[in-house]
Amino acid sequence: MTSTLRIEGLRVEVSGKEVLKGFDLTMDSGEVHVIMGPNGSGKSTLAHALSGHPGYKVLGGSVLLDGVELLSLSATERARHGLLLALQHPMEVPGVRPFDLLVAAGADPTNLRSRMSEEAERVELRRDVLDRFVNVDLSGGERKRAEMVQLGILRPKFAVLDEIDSGLDVDALGAVARRLFAATTEWNCGVLAITHFRRLLQELTPTKIHVVSDGRVVATGGPELSEILERDGYEPFRHLDS
Amino acid sequence: MKSFAQSAHSFISSSPSARERERAWESFQEIGLPTTSDEVWRYAPLSEFVLDHFEVSAQPLVREVSSFAEQLRATGGLVIRIVDGHLASVSGALEGVSVASSESTLTLRGENPLERYQSDAFALLNVALAPATTVVEIAERVNVAQTIVVLYETTGSVSFSQTQVKLGDASSATVVEYFEGGAEALVVPLSEYEVGADASLQLITYQRLEDSAWHVARTTGLVRKDARLRQAVIGMGAHYNRSRNDAELLGTGAENELRTTFLGAGRQVHDFRTHQFHKAQRSRSTLLSKGAVADESRSVYTGLIEIEKGAKRTDARQTNHNLLLSPHAHADSVPNLDIRENDVMCAHASSVGPLDELQRWYLESRGVTRADAERLIIQGFFYEMLTTLPVELAALVEDDVTAALASLQMVAP
Repeated sequence: MTSTLRIEGLRVEVSGKEVLKGFDLTMDSGEVHVIMGPNGSGKSTLAHALSGHPGYKVLGGSVLLDGVELLSLSATERARHGLLLALQHPMEVPGVRPFDLLVAAGADPTNLRSRMSEEAERVELRRDVLDRFVNVDLSGGERKRAEMVQLGILRPKFAVLDEIDSGLDVDALGAVARRLFAATTEWNCGVLAITHFRRLLQELTPTKIHVVSDGRVVATGGPELSEILERDGYEPFRHLDS
Repeated sequence: MKSFAQSAHSFISSSPSARERERAWESFQEIGLPTTSDEVWRYAPLSEFVLDHFEVSAQPLVREVSSFAEQLRATGGLVIRIVDGHLASVSGALEGVSVASSESTLTLRGENPLERYQSDAFALLNVALAPATTVVEIAERVNVAQTIVVLYETTGSVSFSQTQVKLGDASSATVVEYFEGGAEALVVPLSEYEVGADASLQLITYQRLEDSAWHVARTTGLVRKDARLRQAVIGMGAHYNRSRNDAELLGTGAENELRTTFLGAGRQVHDFRTHQFHKAQRSRSTLLSKGAVADESRSVYTGLIEIEKGAKRTDARQTNHNLLLSPHAHADSVPNLDIRENDVMCAHASSVGPLDELQRWYLESRGVTRADAERLIIQGFFYEMLTTLPVELAALVEDDVTAALASLQMVAP
């Protein structure tokens, strides 16, 4: 079954400043969409607003997941409807173990430990990390691999990845990207990846690329768009907005 | 009912060491009970404290212990029961470990306790009224693999216990102290721990007294050359829980790790005081104090790091975090440094606040409900403190803390 995520006219304010100014994007499960754009264009704001981060205030617009308005739901309910955010800097939660987090998040505890181990192996994450507190004392690469373990267990309809490739070495990037790509066929996961590096695209073939500037999508296209970006940078896209 | 003074006198006069006890009692009377105008008692609810509500009795009532104490007992290779300050029983035996009850003793520093505690009213009461000193001695060069469990029960109106643990050079041991009982009682433990050169002592004190108890504890650790004292103090019970934990780093390379934690509910007051006294070179201390206050409870953490002139290359760190679980709860943090040497590393940090909104959101964004997210974070706040405990004990305490937390009202920030 195909699910659809439809973002329409999303406007979001951070610290009193409007950062997203009418953002539109529609994607189906099983697809990989990549959002690229210069710093400050609103990419991360999109990810945080989608998952209900308390510091982001939605001013208007709509985010429908299979027709359900996510913006009127709590962060918990959004996740339970199938939206999972993987963060650029996943938070340390001292004293909370990954197993307990996943059970509380609704994962079936049956065989959970062995499934977590398998997921850890797929992204080459040291297994002892699973017994430690969530993200505590982990390197940037380990945290992102650990986010992939959560993704593999929770199997969201849509995964939103905020700069998951930043600070990753080539090996870690490859492991994370391969895991995500496998998810698109394993359970038809839709992947919405935010990045300003092209290297993620080498491992994760995008269905569509969206270029964001000043809080809006200003261009949408296929993988060829990333080549233009590589050659000319974001400048040609800055004033495309009608 | 007799007045406290009358009951104290009849206890003292029937004791073999009546003269010394009488002197301690007189010293107590000279300085009198503290008041909140005294800086070190500023946060104590002393206006509610009436000595005549308590009565000293000659004989303890030995009762059945709780199921928690039973479970704890099963984890020990040697189990010492101290009831209202009396050494009630010793069960099991461990190679190189001896337990004795002594009518009167000098402190582990070799001083007369009367002089040592001359300005501490509750310690003086203990010196006058503790039935005996329980002395646990571990010989030199012994690695005691099994845990030594000390159960402190309060069945009467007062409990003055005195304990000395002496760990011989190059030995290692784990001691678990557990306090229970004490409904409407005054519980005043006075303990000393001496860790010989190259020795290592892990010490865990778990206080689970009844919520109507007054608990005023004082411990002193003496850490010799290249020795290590790892101490964890967990305070859950008592109406007023005062825990003063001092360590003196006496030898080069001595090390002290202290973790104190508490959970306040109802109208409890937790009053933790620490003093890390560095007297030798290259000595290290790490202190982590974490607590949470719910309902209308209050807490205060007062920590002093003192570094003597000449204690070069000392490394001392102090961290205090307090979690506010209700708008009516209150926590104070008072770190102090007294450093008389330049060549040292010293750091302290403290925080007081509600639970971290972003940590909560992170869990929620995975699909965890708000109530579960808060429960996980608050439990985690305590579990983090239990990571250094022996596994069996950590599991027991973790379950106990979880049950205590489940009965709390949490108010989101």
